[in-house]
Amino acid sequence: MLIELTHIQRLYRSDEVETTALCDIELSVEAGEFVAIMGPSGCGKSTLLNILGTIDRPTSGSYRFGDDELTALNEASLAAFRRDHLGYIFQNFNLIDDLTIERNIELALVYRNMPKSLRQERVASAMDHVGIAHRARHYPSQLSGGQQQRAAIARAIAGEPRLILADEPTGNLDTENGAQVMDILQHLNDEGATIVMVTHSPSHADLAKRRVDMLDGRIVLSAGIAI
Amino acid sequence: MFQAIFDGALREARRHPLHTALNILGLAVGVCVFLTLGLLVRYEYSYNASVPDADRIVRLDSHWSLAGTASYESAFTSFRAVPFLRDDFPEIENAVRIIPATLQVRREGQFTSFTSYQVDPTFFQVFGLRLIRGLPTNALSRPEGLVLSEGAAQRLFGKTDVIGHNIELVRDGQKTSHIVTGVLAQPAEPGVLSDAEILVPIPTEDINTRSCFQRWGSACGRIYLKLHNVTDISTIGAQLRDFVIHRASGADSDETSLGTHPEQEFSLSLVPLLQQHFYDITVRGGEEAADRNVVNSIGITGFLALMLACANAVNLATARAMLRAREVAVCKTLGASRRRLFIQFMGEALLTVATACLAGLALCEVLTPVVASLSGQAVTVRYGFVLLLWPLIVIGSGLASGIYPAVVLSRYRPAAILAATRMPSGGRMDARLRNALVVVQFAIAVTIVICTFVIDRQTAFIRNADRGYTMSGLLVGSAIPAKDLAIQHKMLDALQAVPGVKALTFGELGPNPPNQNKSTYKLVNSAEKVRVHLLFDRAGSEYFETYNPRLLAGRWFDPKYGQDEGPDNEALQKGTGNFNVVVNETAALRFGFTTPDAAVDKVISDQGLRATIIGVISDFRFVSPHEPVEPEIIYYNSLTRTPFDEPIPAVRFDNASSSEMVIHLNRAWASVLPDTPANFQSVDDRTLEFYQGDERRGRIFTLGAIAALLIACLGLYSLASFTAVRRTHEIGIRKTLGASARQIILLLLGDFLRPVLLACVIASPIAWFAMRSWLSGFDQRIVLGPIHFLTAISGALFIAAMTVLGQTLRVARSEPARALRAE
Ligand SMILES: Nc1ncnc2c1ncn2[C@@H]1O[C@H](COP(=O)(O)OP(=O)(O)OP(=O)(O)O)[C@@H](O)[C@H]1O
Ligand SMILES: [Mg+2]
Repeated sequence: MLIELTHIQRLYRSDEVETTALCDIELSVEAGEFVAIMGPSGCGKSTLLNILGTIDRPTSGSYRFGDDELTALNEASLAAFRRDHLGYIFQNFNLIDDLTIERNIELALVYRNMPKSLRQERVASAMDHVGIAHRARHYPSQLSGGQQQRAAIARAIAGEPRLILADEPTGNLDTENGAQVMDILQHLNDEGATIVMVTHSPSHADLAKRRVDMLDGRIVLSAGIAI
Repeated sequence: MFQAIFDGALREARRHPLHTALNILGLAVGVCVFLTLGLLVRYEYSYNASVPDADRIVRLDSHWSLAGTASYESAFTSFRAVPFLRDDFPEIENAVRIIPATLQVRREGQFTSFTSYQVDPTFFQVFGLRLIRGLPTNALSRPEGLVLSEGAAQRLFGKTDVIGHNIELVRDGQKTSHIVTGVLAQPAEPGVLSDAEILVPIPTEDINTRSCFQRWGSACGRIYLKLHNVTDISTIGAQLRDFVIHRASGADSDETSLGTHPEQEFSLSLVPLLQQHFYDITVRGGEEAADRNVVNSIGITGFLALMLACANAVNLATARAMLRAREVAVCKTLGASRRRLFIQFMGEALLTVATACLAGLALCEVLTPVVASLSGQAVTVRYGFVLLLWPLIVIGSGLASGIYPAVVLSRYRPAAILAATRMPSGGRMDARLRNALVVVQFAIAVTIVICTFVIDRQTAFIRNADRGYTMSGLLVGSAIPAKDLAIQHKMLDALQAVPGVKALTFGELGPNPPNQNKSTYKLVNSAEKVRVHLLFDRAGSEYFETYNPRLLAGRWFDPKYGQDEGPDNEALQKGTGNFNVVVNETAALRFGFTTPDAAVDKVISDQGLRATIIGVISDFRFVSPHEPVEPEIIYYNSLTRTPFDEPIPAVRFDNASSSEMVIHLNRAWASVLPDTPANFQSVDDRTLEFYQGDERRGRIFTLGAIAALLIACLGLYSLASFTAVRRTHEIGIRKTLGASARQIILLLLGDFLRPVLLACVIASPIAWFAMRSWLSGFDQRIVLGPIHFLTAISGALFIAAMTVLGQTLRVARSEPARALRAE
């Protein structure tokens, strides 16, 4: 088992109100799986993905990745984990405005102390993969939503991570672009990457090997889909 | 409209209280420093400006170029010139002779020193100083007349209505009785003789006997001339060479003249009163002077502090403009014109600046007395001056800080802003502008910091530098006014009896010597005709033990050798005899000896007097560190046959505290000479005036440096806090991509400090040039090395790093998920 979440809970406390974003989540993902998470807006999908991506900590519960208990690790080890194993595609892209597309993508490799030449090679191939090489020297604000989406994907795959987390990677795209992105993800999955993807599109969810439905912070259905 | 501007400014202040506070504080400090240092500069430039007819008053200076010494200008000129001047130049309306003197007032057995001047009765006709009591026309016409300053009158009598009161003066042990005939008004502006506490007529006896009234070669005071017209200054100046040739020449045997060709070593010039304060920095015996470059540098420092503060305001305003972009876009969509928006933002900037300037003015009130005490100058807040500058500062810095943001903001195209999810595309340009401003700010601040550090090192250096003799455990007294062998012996015995005295000696020179005598010697038996003008000194027994000079070659005097005993006054005057002497290192070098050893056993002569060099000692620095040490010849006087000429007693003591020793020595002195103050002092106290000026100015620069660094750091801090907010999101992304907290901290610190580092690179050469030229004004100086720059730069970098560290840590520690939401 690659990922094993048990009794995961995430509470948000503000001054008076307490929101339960996630409640008693149990989820296992095997290496090489392609999982689609579905559910209505506000049911906790992004929160779950954030916890999987270790950029948010659960209030309680355990998160095992391979042989490691991630909730026990300190910040520095978590940073190293993200650096080495994780590719993250955000709902709102989260590209850095002050850097060109090329540099944005390179950022995924910079923290690995990879030699410059190898980095450039990887960046070039990632951009080719998603078809935005001609926009390499543009800034994010000069790109359309779809192009930014693809740049974000290129950044996530440049590091050849074991786990790709994608939060509505097709949310901003038209049907054709959406299909292209799904192609890329399927291709990566075929090459061995584990993918957890949030989507509102049932047709895209159908392309995954397994589907998880959420409602009000709970997993209500977890079904494997036969191919 | 005004209401809208006011509301807008208030809303901004409420929305960003920290930024607003930093902005106002920075500007207030800048304005305060600018005004305060401006007041100081104005004060220095106002010297003598309030003296009536100051433009046609001049001082007659002497220029000497004598063998073996660098030529120099002296404010003291022989009074023999005065009657000839009156005869030769009808352009002269009036003339006055002024002799500086420290007079003691004796009251109830206690001596009080007063800064005094002996002057001609024409004094008040030349200098139209105001009297609050008495009449200028007759205040100094009687020999027993005496004019007091307002302050001195208060000190002596506790009131200013003191006409007719009696005062007993003591000068060099001589008592005279005087009657107060006038009280000087406190002058509105500083100027010549503004330190005068007592003015008395020159005693008639002195006019008839003192050599400075009889001989061209002797001077004891200054000559001021009041001319009929300003243009007469150049008319007379052009004729002074002929005047010297005509009036100062005479047969070589004529003691009163300067020989057959006086113009070869002597000339005269006129120094306008209005230029004196800065001019006198290079003149010996001049009035209290200031280095114009230093004064200007202080002014520039103040101006730069204001510029730094303005740069801050610009910086913050552009940073905030970014945050207001959306508001502007909405306003424009709702129909606001570009002009209206421009006026709105400009108005807000001016309002903020005006508030800051008011605060700056209030701070200036507080700082001015501090600067006055630090600089030792009686600077006060002059409202005429301040209120003239104030609106200029408000408008100037208001425009500077308002114009760029106002233009940029009013130009934003609403669609661009509302469409873009984040910053408008102008962001990168603004960021570059902000960084450039930080570079400029820190370049200025670091330059000032480096300069201040060098000034501090140099002042410490000259204070503690080796002066050739051992300063600690040494006390030096006033010159003994009696040229009498018996009295000098009595004094020696009285002082010797004081417990704690380890060694005791007399010398005719001492630290900060009151008189210096020189004469020209030539090297005997030498192919080259080397002539050196040597400073004359006589040392008593135990001189070596008292001052501890370093012997570089040969030996010190020893009474065993008959020839060691120096000449008596008769032999000196006639120039006869053979004697052994010690010279200082400079003298040995001037005579052309490459090593001190080479000088030993050589013979030098002054007419018929032959002096054999038996030893060479390292230079004694009795004079200011700005002046070179002059070549010196020392004779020995064991006080058996001949008295010293006004010897200066020096005492080396141990096993006693300095203050106790002073009390005991002064008491012992009083048992021999009850009418003359002994004034035993440490060398530090005696030479205070040499070091005080540089130290005071150093303090002003330190103040400027602290202000500059403070303002620059305020700017950096607000920039960092702004950047931190702006970059939170980016840092969240970087963390998601696996950046560790350490990497983030290094990244942010690097980004914050890069402009500061660049600033240091720019500042270093500027500071180097400035300090090299400043140091060249010192004879004794430190070597400008990398250590000074590195220390100052690392200090500035450290402070800058501390300034941004808090913001950096806050951002670096933020949780990525939360940071990513911070959109
Ligand atoms: N920082 C926060 N503070 C308080 N409540 C939060 C916070 N972040 C998320 N929530 C709440 O947690 C719940 C889950 O939010 P989450 O973003 O995971 O929803 P989502 O399923 O991704 O929705 P969408 O499909 O709209 O993206 C929501 O009710 C949200 O209001
Ligand atoms: Mg979501």
